[in-house]
Amino acid sequence: MSGWLLDPHRLHWRRAWSPGGVTLAQAIALAPPVAVTLFERGPGQLMILIAALLASLVWELAFASLRRRAASWHGVTTALIFAVMASPDTALWQVMLAMSFGVVFGELVFGGRGYGFLPAAAAALGFLLFSFTGAGLAPAGTGLVIATLPGALLLLATGLVSWRALSMAAVVIILTGVAGQGLDGIWSSGVWMRDAWAPALGISFGLVFLVSDSLSTASTNPGRYVHGALAGLLIVLFDAVAGPDIGQAAVVFAALLASVFAPIIDYFAVALVLRRRRAGHG
Amino acid sequence: MSLRQHMISPLIGNNPITLQILGICSALAVTTTLSTALTMSVALTVVLVLSGGVISLLRHHIPPSIRLIIQITIVASIVIVIDQLLQAFMFDMSKRLSIFVGLIVTNCLVLGRAEAFAMRNPVAPSVLDGLGNGLGYSLILIGVGTVREFFGTGALMGVQLVTTVADGGWFQPLGLMQLAPSAFFILGLVVWLVRVWRPEQREYPEFRLGSGEDGRR
Repeated sequence: MSGWLLDPHRLHWRRAWSPGGVTLAQAIALAPPVAVTLFERGPGQLMILIAALLASLVWELAFASLRRRAASWHGVTTALIFAVMASPDTALWQVMLAMSFGVVFGELVFGGRGYGFLPAAAAALGFLLFSFTGAGLAPAGTGLVIATLPGALLLLATGLVSWRALSMAAVVIILTGVAGQGLDGIWSSGVWMRDAWAPALGISFGLVFLVSDSLSTASTNPGRYVHGALAGLLIVLFDAVAGPDIGQAAVVFAALLASVFAPIIDYFAVALVLRRRRAGHG
Repeated sequence: MSLRQHMISPLIGNNPITLQILGICSALAVTTTLSTALTMSVALTVVLVLSGGVISLLRHHIPPSIRLIIQITIVASIVIVIDQLLQAFMFDMSKRLSIFVGLIVTNCLVLGRAEAFAMRNPVAPSVLDGLGNGLGYSLILIGVGTVREFFGTGALMGVQLVTTVADGGWFQPLGLMQLAPSAFFILGLVVWLVRVWRPEQREYPEFRLGSGEDGRR
């Protein structure tokens, strides 16, 4: 089983990525945001990171030994994303329960990363938000936004983040911002709230790591534009309906719902291409 | 198959929910609490038994071309009686079950058994088959309802078993358990467990993703 590679339809790249390579690239991209988060929020956040890593590794190893194949270590990036977005006052057992849910139901039951259809970190965060009353996500600060940038560039350059989905989601949010529909509750301080582009920056971490991950967006290129636009619209919609309290959670729910729609978006994208091709050949 | 087998095989080996994946919609909708799951289980089992018996009794007189209409008419009559009984004697429960008792008419499980079994078997096996399938359905519904009510509220049958954090205790209810998706997760886990235990129930995919090497060959 050592020769299995990620689904070739999803990653158009000169050489195929090995699962370990994907994990490594994402972990490198996540290192600055994690460092900034730990620095800004203190030891409570470190405990959350450790708990999240522990839960994900236990399940990865359990599934690897059950299925008699090498562990993929994808759970590490899931845990890192979770630890950046979770609020520092989240109880540790809740972190472990949510991570178990995300890693198992978002990824492992489908056979590993690239086979499922949900971003595992979004599944874990969604479980946390739906299950526990009072659970919330930490608002983003300027430091996190700046730290997200290098990793985002790395993942964009390597194709692990879909630039089509990312740019469309950002465009939708910026346009609605220009139209006067700002996102409330995204920032820890309200300094940049008045600028139209500030909301897109405030949720940039979620946009890069939850919404635009190449493995959970639509698989076709036209589909990825639609997927990104849909996610952007959903973020604006959730924020407008739920008010400032929802904050970063709007990104999590939007990422989940947009991923659920990804297969049908692909279906229509393929159907459109086929129809054009048939029309062209008369 | 012996008469006893008709009743026993749908419990685990040929369970309508976990193997045939029938009757899922109501299994999701009525399992937020154990009491609704129990009421629905009883209602569906009674409908299955009665409709199996009546349809089997009439099977030589039902013209094949309009058999579905006649089956639905028979099932609907029984369901309406049960729905009225619930409204008369258990009004609160009937309100909580809302339309789902009425929807037993279109339950794939009831029509499935009528069409696949009662139409071509004598009365006694048909009644037992209905009973077995009803009990198999009930088994899953009660299990899912127990898990969802206990982990979602800390209670069973409305009786608080552990004190929740909100009331000063230690138990933190899982809000997700009271939402519909959790029924999918729990059912999925149950199907998984049953198929680990009974490997002959496993279904293998028609297509598999090839590895990179396969594509190049």
